[in-house]
Amino acid sequence: MERDAILVAGPPGTGKTILGLQYLVNGASEFGENGIFVTFEQMPDQIYRDAAAFGWDLRKLERENKFKLVCTSPDLLLAGDGEHLLDETFRQLKPRRVVIDSLSHLAMYVEEKNLRKETYRLLNYFKTKGLTSLSIWESSQIAGQEFSVTEVGVSFLVDCVVLLRMVEIESTMRKALVVLKMRGSDHDRALREFKINSHGIKLSKPFSGYQGIVTGIPRRISR
Amino acid sequence: MVNGDEIEVMNKLLSSDVKLFILELFHDNPGLLDRLEGVALRIGRRASEIEKDAKDLLDIGILQRKKIGNSEVICLNVKRDGEIQGLISNRILKRGGD
Repeated sequence: MERDAILVAGPPGTGKTILGLQYLVNGASEFGENGIFVTFEQMPDQIYRDAAAFGWDLRKLERENKFKLVCTSPDLLLAGDGEHLLDETFRQLKPRRVVIDSLSHLAMYVEEKNLRKETYRLLNYFKTKGLTSLSIWESSQIAGQEFSVTEVGVSFLVDCVVLLRMVEIESTMRKALVVLKMRGSDHDRALREFKINSHGIKLSKPFSGYQGIVTGIPRRISR
Repeated sequence: MVNGDEIEVMNKLLSSDVKLFILELFHDNPGLLDRLEGVALRIGRRASEIEKDAKDLLDIGILQRKKIGNSEVICLNVKRDGEIQGLISNRILKRGGD
């Protein structure tokens, strides 16, 4: 929903960055909603290249003033006094969507006791600017029986939590997506398989015939 | 003929390979906006190793400073960068290059 804060959590290789880019490209090209992608570690030239593989011409969107890729250090995004890092971009682009890749990098720059408060401040800053934010959280676990979304309680601050998981089924790693939380909505709770093809992320049918998908090690349900 | 200012700009631009790495970084990543330490990190250097070269590029105006909170960040000055590219290109054309 508009101005919601969305958290997408998942381990490496599940497609979090692709999901974030797809969200912005769709917004700019199909809904007239300009977007900003903020990256901390991955360099923009790599992101331009990876996006091109899905047919997304980010440089063209930038030239059309529909999209902006910002690369910076996490703590600069939190700087509170005076001009905010993104203020000039906000003025130029008038964005409606922002993706932060990734929120977990902030944890390296903020003391754990302040992380929740600082994250809360940042997400509210986006809301006051009229932005819907999609923040990426890197989970360390690829699969396994124990998991938590962010380990530091960030999932309590957001309006929507989307969890991406690797699932081992018949000796193959498959990808699963589930919406764990969506405030103000009776949302789909099904665990769905998704694939990454040449157009981006393609959501499939819910997994059926298995239980324990979220643990990453599902068991086939006997019929 | 080129004037003295242009020669000074050329001399500063061509005086080290670190400047080339910094310029490549900002040309490939025009949305980069970071402290000197962050810029250095992204080309595998320490801030102290790039300080002088970054200062030259700031003096020329290809890079510009911005104040974000209590920090000073560096970014590409797209307009000035275009001017200097034009200056180099004109210089080469005047000398009969392609």
